[in-house]
Amino acid sequence: MFEPFTDVVPSFFGWLNQGPMTLTIFLHSIIVLPMLWIYKQEKARLEQES
Amino acid sequence: MAKISVWSDNRFWQRSAAWITGFAAVLLIWLTFDTAGQIAMGTDADLQAGVTKRVPGPTVINYKITYEMSTKRGHEVPVIGEKEMFFGRDDYSEEEAGALLHLGKLGSQTKNCMNCHTLLGNGAYYAPDLTKAWLDPAWQDGGTMQAMTGKSTKEEAMAEFLQHPSTYPTHSRMMPDLGITPEEAKGLVAFLKHMSSIDTNGFPRNFGRMQGAVNGK
Amino acid sequence: MANKFTGIGSESKQLATWYFTFAAILLGAQLVFGLVAAIQYVMPGFLFELLDFSVARMLHINALVVWMVFAMFGSVYYLLPDETGIETVGIKVGKLLYWIFVAAIVVVVLVYLFIQVGPATETSIWFIHEGREYIEAPRWADWGIVVVALGFVGNLFLTGMKGNRSGIVTVLMADMIAFAGLYLAGMFFTDNITLDQYWWWWVIHLWVEATWEVFVGSIAAYGLIQMIGASRKVVEMWLWIEVAMLFGSGILGIGHHYFWIGTPEYWWEIGALFSALEPLPLVAMFIHVMYDWGKQQGKKVAGGSDESVVANKPAFVWFWMNAFGNFLGAGIWGFFHTLPQVNLYTHGTQFTSAHGHLAFFGAYATILIGMFYLAVQGSNGIKVLKHTKASIWSISLMVGGMLGMTMALTIAGYVQVLVSRAQMGATWAGYFDGQQGMWFAQAMDWRLIMGVVMFLGFALLAKDLLTTGKNPVHER
Repeated sequence: MFEPFTDVVPSFFGWLNQGPMTLTIFLHSIIVLPMLWIYKQEKARLEQES
Repeated sequence: MAKISVWSDNRFWQRSAAWITGFAAVLLIWLTFDTAGQIAMGTDADLQAGVTKRVPGPTVINYKITYEMSTKRGHEVPVIGEKEMFFGRDDYSEEEAGALLHLGKLGSQTKNCMNCHTLLGNGAYYAPDLTKAWLDPAWQDGGTMQAMTGKSTKEEAMAEFLQHPSTYPTHSRMMPDLGITPEEAKGLVAFLKHMSSIDTNGFPRNFGRMQGAVNGK
Repeated sequence: MANKFTGIGSESKQLATWYFTFAAILLGAQLVFGLVAAIQYVMPGFLFELLDFSVARMLHINALVVWMVFAMFGSVYYLLPDETGIETVGIKVGKLLYWIFVAAIVVVVLVYLFIQVGPATETSIWFIHEGREYIEAPRWADWGIVVVALGFVGNLFLTGMKGNRSGIVTVLMADMIAFAGLYLAGMFFTDNITLDQYWWWWVIHLWVEATWEVFVGSIAAYGLIQMIGASRKVVEMWLWIEVAMLFGSGILGIGHHYFWIGTPEYWWEIGALFSALEPLPLVAMFIHVMYDWGKQQGKKVAGGSDESVVANKPAFVWFWMNAFGNFLGAGIWGFFHTLPQVNLYTHGTQFTSAHGHLAFFGAYATILIGMFYLAVQGSNGIKVLKHTKASIWSISLMVGGMLGMTMALTIAGYVQVLVSRAQMGATWAGYFDGQQGMWFAQAMDWRLIMGVVMFLGFALLAKDLLTTGKNPVHER
């Protein structure tokens, strides 16, 4: 399941780098997904105001 | 109740922008710490113990460097081999080698190498890339550049060229005389040798493998 | 909304015009030294050992960075009174710092021109140049720049906090402090070339692909409100979306510079897929400009008028060119070679040069020239600034010249990639084999021709800007 590590020195980010997509999908997700929470908060605020 | 739209709400986008910017910056800083550890210069002890560093210590100038395909990495990597003479010595101490590299790195900046050449692929495109210049076949025994300078070793040939570049033109586009002294030239060659030992993830690809190929005019 | 601070009497706007004037002079210098370097590609003996390529190119790219920084500072001083409704706080300090900045630049240029290189010592780094592409300025000048930038950011913050802090001003405050702070990452010496280039990219990349882009977004927002009366709420919403997208893709997009300098392999993936998204906000900015223009014009037409909503024609064309040029030069030409599989062969070739030319011009030069036009409009009290023959020709020649240079350099890069890199394996001999190819040589001829075209366009631009005040065609 896990790809053998190829870089010179093992590291957390190197380990997440399991192929051409894994690391970047992970990073994009943790950046973008919390926007859902901001969305919910703002929605609640707008509903309260109207 | 009026229909609300979060998607056209300025505050939602303002907060999202702040979050994304802040968090991306935090990730970059984290990655920087990770990378900084991996690209810190190695030591003489690492070299003696055969520990592979992305950026080896300055005493790498005591060793022979080659650029070979690694099946594990899937590209070429610099390989540090047996001892090799550099200006007649192979026993530079960490201080001596460090001082030479320091002089060479200073020289590479003060002589403005980067505004004609590329170093690690960055710089100007008016002259050849210097990343693996130390390994260029033209400088090896029997290579055209070494023969042209009349010197018997690679390092002496390179140092001679650096001091009197316009005496040895290889093209109508020549390197100008930059007032490089013999000591500075030695430092610069040490800097180039050290740079060729940096693990650049296989850049440049196939370096020096395609000698004598027909050129693509 | 108009008061004495936003009209002709504004000191902040006066300082802005000073900044713009010096910026335009440096733009001229940039083009002159660019032409010298372009001639040297065609005739290598030109000024050999007098003004070598390395010196000409250093002046070319330093003039580029500095004129843009000047024009950016000028733009902020120009829009501050309009946005905040008050005179800029600390304007006297701002004017003093301007003269210090100009004096420092003149000294640095004279040293570049007449001393050129020094011995391999720390002293040369402090007093001649640092030899690091784009940020060659000697260390003493670095500290001067830090002082000037601090003064500028201070003025911006004090004004923003005292006056009305609009969304545009808020974005600029956050952006300009990052812009100034990042410069510190390029102010140290290390023997480790990998570490050197790692931090060097923090300055270069995080400027041009993050903070400068956000700056452009803010200026575009301001320009749309000024020129076509776009709705502030809509414009500022777009601005926040752009900030999120630009920083979201641009900050980690720095990874595309970390493929081959000795940094770990995981940067391949981060660099490839974050920077691949960098064009998205640039598309969005273009859509945004077109949308607002169509919306405002449509309102006017619906009201029974067929007059144009654009209050400053040349400025608006330059802003439009910016929206499109940013997408084309930074977005498309950048994406061309941002994936590591491609970049392995294109890194360090004329491909980069083609992208660099079109991106700096499309993303920054255009909008800053647009700001020049807004400033001549404001400082001459013109209500509607119209096109003149010179403005139309200067836009056509500059944009045409730049597109021509980009095409030529792209072809040259293509030859380099195929011959020098893929076929010959990047050696010294391989490099010159590529340079001698017919396609490469002809591309360099065309680049020079197109450079001259661009220079003619600049001459007309200068003429048009200088004669606007007296030209009777504009509505007052």
